[in-house]
Amino acid sequence: MSGEMQNITYGEAIRQAIDEEMGRDKNVVMMGEDVGRWGGLYRASTGLLEKYGKDQVKDMPIAEAAIGGAAVGTALMGLRPIAEIMYIDFIAIAMDQIVNHAAKWHQLSQGQVKMPIVFTTQGGAGRRNSSQHSQSLENWFVNVPGLITVMPSTPADAKGLLKSAIRNDNPVMFIEHKALFFDKGDVPVGEHLVPLGVADVKRTGKDITIIATSWMVGFALEAAEKLAEDGISCEVVDPVTLWPLDTETLINSVKKTKQCLVVTEAPAAGGWSGEAASIINEACFADLKKPVQRLCGMRTGMPFGPIHERKVVPGAESIMENVKQVLKGKEVCQS
Amino acid sequence: MDKDTLLEHYRMMVYLRRFDLACTQLKLKDQIFSGYHATMGQEAIAAGFIPALNDDDVVFSTHRPHAHAAAKNIPLPRVMGEMMGRTCGCSGGLGGAMQFLDPQYHFYCGSIVGSNIPISAGVATALKQGDTDRLCLCLFGDGASNTGAFHEGLNLAAIWKLPVIFLCENNQYGEAMPVKEFVSAPNIADRAHSYGLKPWQIDGNDVVAVAEAAEEAIKKIRAGEGPIFIEAITYRIKGHYMGDPEHTYREKAEVDMWKKKSPLIRAKKTLTEMGVTDAEFKKINKDVDATIAEAEEYCLAQPYPTFEESIAHVDIPLTVAGGTN
Repeated sequence: MSGEMQNITYGEAIRQAIDEEMGRDKNVVMMGEDVGRWGGLYRASTGLLEKYGKDQVKDMPIAEAAIGGAAVGTALMGLRPIAEIMYIDFIAIAMDQIVNHAAKWHQLSQGQVKMPIVFTTQGGAGRRNSSQHSQSLENWFVNVPGLITVMPSTPADAKGLLKSAIRNDNPVMFIEHKALFFDKGDVPVGEHLVPLGVADVKRTGKDITIIATSWMVGFALEAAEKLAEDGISCEVVDPVTLWPLDTETLINSVKKTKQCLVVTEAPAAGGWSGEAASIINEACFADLKKPVQRLCGMRTGMPFGPIHERKVVPGAESIMENVKQVLKGKEVCQS
Repeated sequence: MDKDTLLEHYRMMVYLRRFDLACTQLKLKDQIFSGYHATMGQEAIAAGFIPALNDDDVVFSTHRPHAHAAAKNIPLPRVMGEMMGRTCGCSGGLGGAMQFLDPQYHFYCGSIVGSNIPISAGVATALKQGDTDRLCLCLFGDGASNTGAFHEGLNLAAIWKLPVIFLCENNQYGEAMPVKEFVSAPNIADRAHSYGLKPWQIDGNDVVAVAEAAEEAIKKIRAGEGPIFIEAITYRIKGHYMGDPEHTYREKAEVDMWKKKSPLIRAKKTLTEMGVTDAEFKKINKDVDATIAEAEEYCLAQPYPTFEESIAHVDIPLTVAGGTN
């Protein structure tokens, strides 16, 4: 089995991770809206109810405080819940459970209580869902001590990171991207663990580092491919885990390329993109040829429909354009 | 109820009352740093209900938790020390008077009103699918019944028939907001009807009524007839927190009227009729005071956590077991 690969979707990779971990440990339980009968909004838990039964796969009412509370309560009693919040926008209802309870109890109990919960959810634009089903809210969680925040950008990462997250004893925010669920990629068959807290250099280059997250990673790679035709060599770094952040990989890359563009779908203000830029500035100031720049989603509610939606979040075109701006020493134009 | 059983409940109520009074003094001496939420007048609920549980049943309390914790027979220094922020406290002095965890005694509480209701449903979910007849007692106040979490938690417990007892201590005020103005339902118990439960409303100042309800509820839960919802009517003699502007929301005459309905006065009257003597009552007071004084002296001699201890365990490092990569 070792080394054998399969070409599967991001959603199927997630399904396999849950399937394998449930098979490995009966304490792994999944709870959420339509995770059972439907098999998940994007079919990332198809067949699991039939295979593992209601104790391990729990369809829940549309009640995110109940989902959060059930996750915290079952974790307290020794289970390892995967608590699914169907859209990240709905997580506002569960925030109390995540922030005031799941993230606090390990410290409050002097390490006696563990909260091995994975909050799986999916965010971002790309499916024409307007402003209450398209947000990028990862920054909220990066700001809360006690939480790990992960954003897989490929099927292989999705499988390997989710398996690691399920085995981790911290509460983990596992934020998938709705536009990636049907993208295919090569994923190892069977056991495949991708470590949390380790960034991944998705493409090596020498002229500029593009630090991109989630959906933006694919666009950064597409931009890098096209820019290579113009003789611009881009290194694309995916932080993978937003927090705790693998600063070393980011810093080493920028020390090499001496220029940096940070790309996120979430708006810039008060966000992780600023944190990343600041870390690079602090560590690489003497090495930088130009100021670190950011290309982020606009600070707006998501416009409805496909035309305007694509204008308010970065894509390959805007990344290409802005890499050129950075190299010229000019300020980036948002989106 | 026979004399000896009632005397045990009375002894527990005296213990909770005098512990509360001791805490009031500790607060005045700034030995309890945070807001202090007195339990005076509500003793019958903790004393009548919690001792009927098994040691390994889970209790999930509120921001007003110390009487519940003491009634679960957690040794007093673990509770009092926690409220004083000392290392002998059950959470090492990191939680304080309104949020602490004592996993060893299966006791939890927190200072976000209503949050513990869905969490208790979660606890009961795990208990139900485990090989155990353990149950969860979820305590909350009238104010919590106005939160979304209350309704989400009750619905979940009801659809999954979970082994959880929801025990509402209706003490007539959510902070400064009187129940009669801020709770739309004539009775909080009415709200449970809409989740298909058959709620009970009991006199929360009558320790006998509480103890009888506890016995019946626990029996039903262990027989798989959960969840159960009980509204216990009581009264918060003191303010929401010590030193709150009470005159802004209630009349002294109302408080005085309820003081006369104190659960301790009522139980003492019955016990007197049963033949308990003044000397016996005095001995109870003396024994309880000695226990409290001993705990207080012990706690006052205990250190505060170091700064390093205070900020430890924020998360499990990814490089160690449990955060294993």
